[in-house]
Amino acid sequence: MRLDFLETGPALLVEEDLRVLVAGDLHLGIESDLSRHGLHIRSRSRQRKERLLSCIESASPDLLVLLGDVKHNVPLTSRQEFQELPGILDALRSKVPINLVPGNHDPGIEKFFREGEVLSKTGALIDGVGYIHGHTYPDPLLQGHLIIAGHHHPMISIRDEVGCALRSPGYLLASVDDLCLQFPESPEREAGETRVLFIPALNELAGYDIIRTAKEPFSPLSRCMNTEQSEVFLADGTFIGPLGSLEDHGDAEGA
Amino acid sequence: METQRALDRRVQDCIRARGFSKLSEIQQKAIPLVREGRNLLLVAPTGTGKTESAMIPVFDAMMSQTGGGFCTLYITPLRSLNRDMLQRLEWWCRELGLRVGVRHGDTTQTERRKQALHPPDLLITTPETLQALFMGKVLRKHLANVRYVVIDEIHELAGSKRGAQLAVALERLREYAGEFQRIGLSATVGNPDEVGRFLCGARDFSIVCVPVTKHLEISVDFAGDSFEKQAAWVSRAIGRHESTLVFVNTRVTAEALGHQLYHRGDVEVHHGSLSKDVRIEAEERFRSGSVRALISTSSMELGIDIGRIEHVVQFGSPREVARLVQRVGRAGHQMDAVSRGTVLATGFDDLLESLVIARRAKAGQVEDVNIHLNAADVLANQIAALSVEYREISRQRIRDIVERSYPFANAGDLVDEVCTQMAEHGLIRIEGEMVRSGGRSRRYLSSNLSMIHDERKVVVFDMVARKTVGTLDESFVVGFVHTGAVFITKGQLWRVLDMEEGRIIVEPAKKAKGELPSWEGEQIPVPFSVAREVGSLRRSRDFSPYHPGERPLEFAARFLLEMDRNRTKVPHDTLITLENAPEGVVCNVCAGHKANEALARVLSILLSARYGTTVGIEIDAYRIYLRLPSSVKAADVREILCSLDPAHIEGILQLAMKRTALFKWKMVQVAKKFGAIDPDADYERISTHRLVEIFDGTVVQKEAYRELFSVYMDVPAAARIVSLVREGSIEVVVSPLSILGAEGLWASRDQISPPTADQAVIGTLKRRLEQQEIILACMHCRNWKSRTTVSRVPDPLRCPVCGAGLVAVLKPWEESLMAIVKKKEKNDEERALAQRLLRNANIVLSGGKKAVTALAARGVGPENASRILSTLAEGDGFYREIIRAERNYIRTRRFW
Repeated sequence: MRLDFLETGPALLVEEDLRVLVAGDLHLGIESDLSRHGLHIRSRSRQRKERLLSCIESASPDLLVLLGDVKHNVPLTSRQEFQELPGILDALRSKVPINLVPGNHDPGIEKFFREGEVLSKTGALIDGVGYIHGHTYPDPLLQGHLIIAGHHHPMISIRDEVGCALRSPGYLLASVDDLCLQFPESPEREAGETRVLFIPALNELAGYDIIRTAKEPFSPLSRCMNTEQSEVFLADGTFIGPLGSLEDHGDAEGA
Repeated sequence: METQRALDRRVQDCIRARGFSKLSEIQQKAIPLVREGRNLLLVAPTGTGKTESAMIPVFDAMMSQTGGGFCTLYITPLRSLNRDMLQRLEWWCRELGLRVGVRHGDTTQTERRKQALHPPDLLITTPETLQALFMGKVLRKHLANVRYVVIDEIHELAGSKRGAQLAVALERLREYAGEFQRIGLSATVGNPDEVGRFLCGARDFSIVCVPVTKHLEISVDFAGDSFEKQAAWVSRAIGRHESTLVFVNTRVTAEALGHQLYHRGDVEVHHGSLSKDVRIEAEERFRSGSVRALISTSSMELGIDIGRIEHVVQFGSPREVARLVQRVGRAGHQMDAVSRGTVLATGFDDLLESLVIARRAKAGQVEDVNIHLNAADVLANQIAALSVEYREISRQRIRDIVERSYPFANAGDLVDEVCTQMAEHGLIRIEGEMVRSGGRSRRYLSSNLSMIHDERKVVVFDMVARKTVGTLDESFVVGFVHTGAVFITKGQLWRVLDMEEGRIIVEPAKKAKGELPSWEGEQIPVPFSVAREVGSLRRSRDFSPYHPGERPLEFAARFLLEMDRNRTKVPHDTLITLENAPEGVVCNVCAGHKANEALARVLSILLSARYGTTVGIEIDAYRIYLRLPSSVKAADVREILCSLDPAHIEGILQLAMKRTALFKWKMVQVAKKFGAIDPDADYERISTHRLVEIFDGTVVQKEAYRELFSVYMDVPAAARIVSLVREGSIEVVVSPLSILGAEGLWASRDQISPPTADQAVIGTLKRRLEQQEIILACMHCRNWKSRTTVSRVPDPLRCPVCGAGLVAVLKPWEESLMAIVKKKEKNDEERALAQRLLRNANIVLSGGKKAVTALAARGVGPENASRILSTLAEGDGFYREIIRAERNYIRTRRFW
C-alpha cells in the first residue's frame, strides 16, 4: 500500500488495488455559523472545491471518499449549505465517483447524496483500509486494519527553545487498543494491529492542537490510542517525530 | 482697544463683565482675523484664553445671523468637555441672547429631542456625536445652516484616527452647509502648518502662534533611586508651595505615591480609572484649598479649572517635550504669568532624559504631530456612514468628498479597494458605480461611531491557584491567543489551557520563553530626537548646557564613573554596545522606543531565519533585549547588524510582523472597523480560526501594517541608525554586561518566529536526529556493539576494541542483526544482509558524522544515505535531503 500526501487540499491518496482519494471535514457552510458568532466573511467554499478538484486532477483516483462533516451547521441545514452543496457535489461527481462516511455535522445530508453513495457512519472497509469520520465507535469490521479518520482536525505546533515557531495542519498515526474500542475478542481471526491515521481538515479555518487532543481526548479513537508511540506528520508527509517530541522543551529544563 | 471697539456692543459689555481689563496677546491677534472670515489655527499653551479668542469674534458674528438650524459647532474631545468651559460658554450665550446646547454620548433623550425641535445656535459636541448627527434627517437639515466650526484640542485629534474621521466629517458637512469658517485651537506643536492643513484641506488659512518659552521655568532634581526617598522629596516639595499639581506617568504610580503620602492628609489622587464623582470631589477640594496637592496622570493635563496651581511636579521623565510643556503650563493662572515646574528624575536614564527634555522645552523644540494619512479603516467607517446617510451614493461622489480632506487628499485607488473589502464582509453592497448600505450597516455604525477601539477586557484565570490573574485586550485574544500559547502578564509567564465562559484559563509556565505583550495605553514612547540627544550627552558628559542641580550632577557623574571602573563602555549616540546577558543579548541603542521597536524586529527576524529559532524581544528607548538560545552570541548579532542594508528594512519588517502578537492584535482592530468582526463577537468561537489567513493580502492587512509602521515603529529613524552604522559613523562593539545594559524598564515584549516553515521543520529534524538512539557495530572485528545517541557519536568514529573505522549504524530494532552477521554459515538471505551492513559501515567510514546522522533517519539505509551524501549538500540542504528521503519512505508499502 502506498500513501501519497497531497499538501494542498489537504488530502490523502491511498493506493492498493484501487486509488482512493480521502478528504474530510470540509465544514461547508461554516461561514454562516461564524457570522452568527460575529465574524463576517464571504463563503470560501469555492476555494475549497477548487482545492479538492485539483487534488482529483493530480491524483486521478478511482474513488473519492469524503470522511464526514461535509456540511457544518447542525441541527438545521443553513441557506448557505442549500445553495452551495449541490453544485459542489456535482462538480466532484463529474470527475470521480464519491462516497460519504457521515460525521456529526452531517445530519440532514442524505438529501444531497445519491443512492449508494452514503456509507455507514460507523465506518467502511474499502480495499483493506478502514474509513470512518471518527466521532463514533468503529464497526468491528475495521479491527486489525489501518483506519483513516477525520473529526479531529489535527494541528501541529512545533516549538523551539524560545517559543512556538510553526502551526500547521498535519497527520497523527497511532496504534489503538482493541479492547478499549469494544472490538469483540475472536481468537481465530488473524488480526493485524489496529492503527488509526487522523487526517487534517480540508477546511482551512478549522484546527485542534494535537497535544491537547492527546491530553483531553474527545472520541473513542482518541481515547483508545497509544499516544506514547504515536507519530506526527506534516500535510506534505514530512515526518516530524513522535508526539512526545512536540511538547514544550522549556518546561522540562526545570523551574 | 481698537479690536475691542469694533465688536458688537453687547459683546463688549460681556468682555467687561468677565473682568477682562484688556484682551490677551493671542486674542488681539486672532479676533481681527476671525472677523475677516479667515480660517484660523490658534497655537498657544493652556490657560492663554484660546477658547475666548475663538468664541468672542464668533459670538460677535452670530449676533447678526438669522435663520434656524445650528449656526456654530464647537467640537471638542469628550474628556475636555468640562464643567467650567461649559459654564463659561453658557454664560456668554445667556448674556447675548443666544441658545446653546450640549450633545454627547450621555445626553438624555429629552434633551436630544429638544435640540431637534428647536436647534440651538451654538451646539457643543464631540467628534463621535458629530458622526451621529448625520444619521438623522431632521438633524441634517439643521446642519445646513452651520457657518462656524471651532475645533478644540485639535493637536490631539490631528494625531489620531479620530481626527482623520473628523476631517472627513467636515467635508460631509460641507455638502449640506456649503463652505463654513474653520477655527482650530491647538497646544504648542512642532508642525503647526501641517495641523492647519489638517483643519482646512487645500483651503487658505492663517496661523496665530504664541511662543511658549518665555512662560516656562523648569528645573530637574534627583532624590535617589528608591521610591521612598523620591516620595519624601515630593512631600517636601508639596510643603514648599500652597498648591501643587504632581504629574506621574502611570495609574499604578499615582496610586503608589498617593498611598505613600496619605499620612499628610492634604493630598489626593486623580486619574481616569476613578469614578467621575471621586474625581470631581478631588478637584473641588483642591480648588477650595482643603487639599494642597493632587497626584494625577494625564487626566489633569487639560484645562479643568481647579483654581491656582502654584507649582507643578513631574515625577519621572515626561518622555516627550510636548507633554512637559503642557503639564508645567498648568502652573500659574493669570495669562502672562510664569509657569514653574520641577522634574524629579528616578534613575540614570530618566535623569539624562529629563535634562534633555527640559532644555528642549525651554527652547521651544516641541515634537511634530504625526497625522494619519490614508488610514483605510477610517475610510471604511466613513463610507459605511455615507452609505447609510445617502442610502445610495456613487463612488465618484465618495471620492470627491473624502479627497477634499487632508488625510485622504491622495487616496488614489484606496476608495475602491476599501469598498471591495467592505462588500466582502457584507457591510455595503456595490452595484456598478453605486454603493448601497447593507443589512448590518446601521448596527455597525451605532457601535462604531468612534474610531477609538472600545476594547473589551478578557479575564485571565489561573487554573492552579484558582484565581483571576488579570485581563487582556479582546482584540489581542482574538488575534493571538490559542491553546498552548504562552504569554506574560503581571510579570509572570502563563500558558493557555482553554478558553471558555468569557475567560482564558491558564497555568503558570516555567521556562518556556514565549513572550508577548498586552499593549498598555500608558506607555509613552520617547522620541528619536530626545534619545539621540541623551546619547550625545552620555558621550560628551558635558552637563553645563543643561544646568543640572548639584544632586543630579553628582549622581550622573558617579554612575558614569562606575561604568568606567567596570571597564564597560558607555553606549552613546555614536557607539552601540552589544552585551551577552543570561538569556540573550542586550543591544544598547540610543534611538527611542519606536526606532528600537523597528530595529529589534529586523534583527530578530534575521537571527531567527539564520538560526532557525524563535527570538523574543523586549524594548525600551535605549535598549533592545534579544532573547536567544545560548548558542547565539553578541558577536553573531553584531555580524547581522553590520551587514544590514537600510533600504531593505521595510520589506524585512513586513515579513517579520506577520505572525507576531502585535500584528494580529492590530489586524483584528482594523478588521472590526471594516465590519468583519462584530464588537460583541464570540471570540471563543472565532479566535481559533485562522484570521491571519483570512485577511492575508487584503486592505485590512495593509492598514494594519501602515498603522504599525507609523504609530508603533519609526522605520525611517531605524533606517538612519543602520545607515550610520554602515558608513562607520556609529561604532558597534561587543562588550561584557554593564550596569547600564542590565538596567531599564522593559516597555514592550514580543516574539518573532522564523519566516518560513522550512526552518522550523529543519530545526525539529535536527533535534530529533541528535536524540535518535542508534546501535554502533564494528564490522571489522565484529566484537564491539554500543547503544548510544547520534549527538554522542565522536567524529571520527573508531571501534574502541580494534581501532578500525568500519562501524555500521543500526536502528535500535536492528540490534539482533549483528548476531546473524557473526554466524559462520550463512544462507543467501543472511549473506545479503551482511553485505548491506558492510556497505553501511563503508559509508560511515568515508562519510563520517554526516553519514551517521543520515543513517539515523527514518527509513534511510545504505542506499539512501549514499545518495544523500553524494549530493554534497551542506547545512540546511543536507537536512532537506534527509526530509525528502524520509518522506519517500513513508509513502511506501513497507511503512504502512
